[in-house]
Amino acid sequence: MAENSNGYLSGSTLEKVLNAGHFAVTGELGPPQNADAEVIREKARLLKGYCDAVNLTDNQTAIVRMSSIGAGAILVQEGLEPVIQMTCRDRNRLAIQSDLLGAYALGMRNLLCLTGDHQSFGNHPTAKNVFDMDSIQLVQTISSMRDDHIFQNGEELKGVEPRFFVGAAAAPFADPIDFRPYRLGKKVNSGANFIQTQLVYDIPAFKTYMEKVRELGLHHKSYILAGVGPLKSLGMAKYMKKNVPGILVPDEIIARMSKASKPWAGKKKGELTKEDKKARTKAWKEEGIQICIDLIKDIQQIEGVAGVHIMAIEWEEAVKPIVEGAGLYPRPEVAEIAA
Amino acid sequence: MIIAEQKPLSEIKELVASAEQVLVLGCGTCVTVCFAGGDREAQIVASSLRMSTKLDKQPKQVDHVTVQRQCEWEYLDQVSEQIEAVDIVLSLGCGIGVQAVAEHFPNTWVVPGLNTTFLGLPVEQGVWDERCAACGDCVLGLTGGICPIARCSKSLLNGPCGGSEDGHCEISPDTPCAWQLIYDRLSSKGRLEVLMDLQPPKNWSTSRDGGPRKIVREDLRLVDQKEEN
Amino acid sequence: MEGDCHYLEGNLNARRRVEYIGQLLDQIGLDRQRLKMINISAAMGNEFAQHAVEFTNQITELGPNPLTHVQGEDSKEKTR
Repeated sequence: MAENSNGYLSGSTLEKVLNAGHFAVTGELGPPQNADAEVIREKARLLKGYCDAVNLTDNQTAIVRMSSIGAGAILVQEGLEPVIQMTCRDRNRLAIQSDLLGAYALGMRNLLCLTGDHQSFGNHPTAKNVFDMDSIQLVQTISSMRDDHIFQNGEELKGVEPRFFVGAAAAPFADPIDFRPYRLGKKVNSGANFIQTQLVYDIPAFKTYMEKVRELGLHHKSYILAGVGPLKSLGMAKYMKKNVPGILVPDEIIARMSKASKPWAGKKKGELTKEDKKARTKAWKEEGIQICIDLIKDIQQIEGVAGVHIMAIEWEEAVKPIVEGAGLYPRPEVAEIAA
Repeated sequence: MIIAEQKPLSEIKELVASAEQVLVLGCGTCVTVCFAGGDREAQIVASSLRMSTKLDKQPKQVDHVTVQRQCEWEYLDQVSEQIEAVDIVLSLGCGIGVQAVAEHFPNTWVVPGLNTTFLGLPVEQGVWDERCAACGDCVLGLTGGICPIARCSKSLLNGPCGGSEDGHCEISPDTPCAWQLIYDRLSSKGRLEVLMDLQPPKNWSTSRDGGPRKIVREDLRLVDQKEEN
Repeated sequence: MEGDCHYLEGNLNARRRVEYIGQLLDQIGLDRQRLKMINISAAMGNEFAQHAVEFTNQITELGPNPLTHVQGEDSKEKTR
């Protein structure tokens, strides 16, 4: 394990990019609701070269999908670096530790620790949940396996320890909003090496959050990647503004999406031809991508933000134009030896 | 206290289908207070069963009796003759009451008339909320007297998770976010610093996860019973 | 009238309880149409008579209490 002795925690590309001071780009890939490896490979091809690493969701929104680690093994084969997402909803501390030993052995180096959505949202609402640990305790557990060579129970981990670059999520605009920077502090203090935030659309609100984060010095202890995502339609923008807790969509962005569909505005459903709808979808998508690019450019100016996490699930094609448009392509090549 | 609610009559009928004589056994403690299995409910269930089975042309003899507490042998002893005289006892006690009857009367077939739902309290008349998960290692001292184990849908110890909105949990607008309540309470007491401590993974072995639980108080035991065990 | 009761909220409570009993009657297998609640004041003699006639017609149509006409059974329940 040469990479363990060169000063890196994990030696992952993501860690090296951040360590070298580059503005990092991570993407996200939702595994299929079946056992088709080709789906992962196809999506991987769309993202390869445009992201430093790609998150693999773990039964996202409590819907059964191919496992994060299984999909991660395919990404490793494809030469695209995975960020394994691990929730506390479906596994107890035994299963989590053992799965992560396996993930490391299969070549995975980045981990995002999540508590997980409640199963009542998903497609198995009658399931028993676990929540043996929470995301903060998970960060602590995995960091201790790496740094102190101990399991959660305090027993020594003999032999090869899993050396993950450990991440956690942050929801800057969730309730209670005054507590969010402190909650981030708990995650950072429990050992989170990097943070990926919930979708950011409201730059002024995010700036306020980051001000507090800097005041607490958290940006020096952990790399903070701001979450961004392209809007697909005006409806999606309005839906998120209204219905998704912890996501702020300013009126200005709604107005931009609305303007994009102006040529078709005022027409009733029946009056729109197939071609009209196609053209409108295209206009929305183009504007959604442009908004995302503009957000990234604004975010790059905020002190303490080390990168972006682009969430374009089921629209992986959007990542290429976003990364290129934001001037973040090509991705940096990182040296094997730490600076 | 223990909160329970009645099973639908259709399910109760299936549970007692094989009996000719049924005793509906009410309980005078928790389930009386939550209007699920007290004497009044025992009378209504007995009467409903009589009418319904009669309409089905398979009439049963259904009587009722209520004891102070089904979960203590001495109260069950008071109605042993009635219990032993019937084919099936329909217990309107909580799950503990049903099992106490089964344990105390090995020859009697007992079935539950209630679903025992949680440990809680009436927040207003007719509305009950869960308050305790009986985890065996109380954390209320850390959280200003609001239980995150029973009342946070993810039993988080380092909450709030970020899924709440306007003070309610992500799972339902009717479920208050326990961590919002904890936050507000600690905030009003000027004690938010408590939330900055990292809480380690909980020891769940004192909870149901550690297997069935038992308490032995040597100071309270009687000598002759000790020798028996 | 509803909500306007000598016993304050008494008729509102009664309405919820009548609804509960209606469900119970359905579960037992007795038609809940056999039970009806109306609000009427002491000064509404005509309306009262009208409701009484309507309800009498309604239950006559439903037929006799099935509990008193189950063959071969004593009918102690009818007095309850």
